[in-house]
Amino acid sequence: MRPPRRDLFRLIEPLLSLVERPSRYLDHEWGAVEDQPGPFHACLIYPDAYEVGQPNLGIAILYNALNAAEGISCERCYLPWHDMADLMRERHVPLLALESAAPVASFDLVGFTLAHELVATNIVETLDLAGVPVRASERAQDDAIVIAGGPSVWNAEPLAPMFDAILLGDGEDAIVEMASCVRDARAAGLAREDVLLALSRIQGVYVPSLYEVVVDDTSTRWGYAVPRPGTGAPEVVLKRCVADFAATPACAEHIVPYMGIVQDRLAIEVLRGCARGCRFCQAGMTYRPVRERPMGQVVEASVQGLAETGYDELSLTSLSTTDHSQCAPMLSELDRRHSGRGIRVSIPSQRLDAFGVDMANAASGSKRGGLTFAPEAGTQRLRDVINKNVTAEDLERAATNAFAHGWRRVKLYFMMGLPTETDEDILAIPAATHRVLEIGREIVGRGKKSKVQVSASVAVFVPKAYTPFQWAGQLEVGEVERRARLLLGANTDRDVKISYHDPRTSLVEGALSKMGRAGFDLVLAAWRRGCRFDAWTSEFNYDAWEAAAEELGYDLPSIASEGFPLDVRLPWDHTSPGVSKGFLQREWRRAAQGVTAPDCTRESCVGCGVCPTLGVGNVIWGERA
Amino acid sequence: MINTVAITNSKLNQYRLRVRYRKDGRLAHLGHLEVINTINRSVRRSALPFAVGNGFARRMRLQFSQALPVGAASLGEYFDLYLIEEVAPEGALERLAKSSPSLLEPVAASYVSYDLPALEAWLTRSTWSVDIIDGTSVEAITRGIRAVREHGVLTYMRGEKEKHVDLGRTLASFQEKPVGPGFLLDCRSTEEGSLRPAVLIAAAAREVGLAMPAISVCRLGQWHVDEDGSLVEPM
Repeated sequence: MRPPRRDLFRLIEPLLSLVERPSRYLDHEWGAVEDQPGPFHACLIYPDAYEVGQPNLGIAILYNALNAAEGISCERCYLPWHDMADLMRERHVPLLALESAAPVASFDLVGFTLAHELVATNIVETLDLAGVPVRASERAQDDAIVIAGGPSVWNAEPLAPMFDAILLGDGEDAIVEMASCVRDARAAGLAREDVLLALSRIQGVYVPSLYEVVVDDTSTRWGYAVPRPGTGAPEVVLKRCVADFAATPACAEHIVPYMGIVQDRLAIEVLRGCARGCRFCQAGMTYRPVRERPMGQVVEASVQGLAETGYDELSLTSLSTTDHSQCAPMLSELDRRHSGRGIRVSIPSQRLDAFGVDMANAASGSKRGGLTFAPEAGTQRLRDVINKNVTAEDLERAATNAFAHGWRRVKLYFMMGLPTETDEDILAIPAATHRVLEIGREIVGRGKKSKVQVSASVAVFVPKAYTPFQWAGQLEVGEVERRARLLLGANTDRDVKISYHDPRTSLVEGALSKMGRAGFDLVLAAWRRGCRFDAWTSEFNYDAWEAAAEELGYDLPSIASEGFPLDVRLPWDHTSPGVSKGFLQREWRRAAQGVTAPDCTRESCVGCGVCPTLGVGNVIWGERA
Repeated sequence: MINTVAITNSKLNQYRLRVRYRKDGRLAHLGHLEVINTINRSVRRSALPFAVGNGFARRMRLQFSQALPVGAASLGEYFDLYLIEEVAPEGALERLAKSSPSLLEPVAASYVSYDLPALEAWLTRSTWSVDIIDGTSVEAITRGIRAVREHGVLTYMRGEKEKHVDLGRTLASFQEKPVGPGFLLDCRSTEEGSLRPAVLIAAAAREVGLAMPAISVCRLGQWHVDEDGSLVEPM
């Protein structure tokens, strides 16, 4: 039975003086939609702490879309930190939404963002705190419909048992359709099963309960999902895709938090999708096609957004902002429009081959703190395998431009454990990093006063669904550690900092990326052993994950390191971003041969299949260099 | 050579607007840095012609009175905003009020001398209301406060750091509230530190063998103390 909708802030208020950072739970931020008349009520949840979830652009976009829809109201909720969660359980206080302080369990629709695999236990924790049955199959007729969406839906199976429906792809239109569908179905008195059937008729909506998992000779040990007979559910659910990106609101962030959050600035999404074709990159494959927002729209939105929010920093976000065909003039215009107001413009990371003199000049109006580039691999051979399409010369040119234009700190992102990687590739990482440092010293000078610093952050490669490397196995922890020692041992300069990602966190991420629906038992067992906030280094507890796996007879390393044959049916084959399996197989073979593929926004079509399958196309406003 | 920094930020071309605001309701739980950031953004939203410092980070010229503890409300907090154009104080107040969260509402504004010391150092006297909201005996806490006062120095832990407050210098007076259970405290801040009402009540409760009572704290006002000891209104 759903609890009544009523303001229960009085239950949280006495706890505020007893917890760290009470501003996580206050609501009443500038720009929050406090008036929530409904009558249909939705609650969007980012299953992590407020400071991590609040800057999420996806939630902001959907929050605006739902609140703009007639008869629908939308609120936010984040996962309380341990101290607050413990107090809430002790005092029998249910999880509340921010705006109305009504119980999350009282809402008609509850939506989760799947930002990455390591939020799995946080979702269980959130549902448990809310008092909503964790398994969709155990929910009563009247319980909230629990949905999910976001960048990590492409192997949703280990989390699927928690959701009534999962939205694949762009959400701004689809979320309103889903909410309207639930509202109308409820108003018509449909049973819960029929509400879910109605949801499955919306393009992009995957209803897990309408599919059964089959394990046979054609599949991996995790099986594949097929529609249950008589449900009419599609064999393959294709993602939603907004064809006219420029028709969507350019500025989605209107809420200004009180507390310091991880990206405390106004973010404007300048383009969606990336066609560079990096073979490890899930976002690059699943957000296609490329759709740019025209420069004028970005500039005007920045003026309006900064005035409306009071932020003093603007971030131009996307998968690859410097690829925007109007990036350099856009930066110049932003600099001109915002000069003298203490406004900084930032770009999340720079393409090596796009950071030329023009870009350095254009970005020179911004604060020059640090600059980040992602060569991803140390040798040209391996960069060709992963289709990064940048060269050592690009790195040298970008570093030269950066140091010559005033930057002093450069950060480089690499990966370890990529397919075909050798020790030579590993040793090339510190070599490339040292070369960048040398360039800095040649331009700026030596000694401490020059303040030239170069750091390399090395992540463990995790094979992800719907990438050409989805069939690859993950490097085992012992081998990661051996290669890490090799890496660190080759660093001979104090001004170079090399760090690598915890291989055990990547191991859990890798296992969850490979498992099928049976993986949910692992998630549940880990949560029962206290796992939550697994993406926080301080909170991650590998021993608990290992024990949970043992309890179920699983071996995490063997799950993560298992490679799949190219012709096998995969656990995620029934949900598709539009990229064809044939294309991914071709790309896998090209990778093995070290053959690169072009970017279709600059050269010819590579035949990924997205445009014909989804009926969309790239939208580029200028000329891409 | 012309000193452009001196010209950019000087009393010749800048106006120091002092604003009194309240901190109320659930926003009492904001920390000082959170209040600073929020007001900074409120000022930007107001589109007042604020001055920007000449440092590397190019920050707005904005100064605040002493930090209010997390959880404490206030009827009299202050900030000084430097403007590069003179705007009528009533107009400035109206624009700030429109662009601020209602629970951090600016309630008065007027220009003050550019040459006054920074607010934090200038406003050293404050009065506080402490309400006991869980029925703990006010009489017992009064005995506790007297006993703590007799010790002279109050020692407490803030995080992992041990702190000492000289009650002789920081607690000017205290009295039970005439209406309702609680206290009125008259406090001085010194170079060594300030007295936090919650710290005093916690120590007083310990002294008489009670648990820390549930309290509600509100700073009622702040003043400058003139050389002759008289209290000067900030505005």
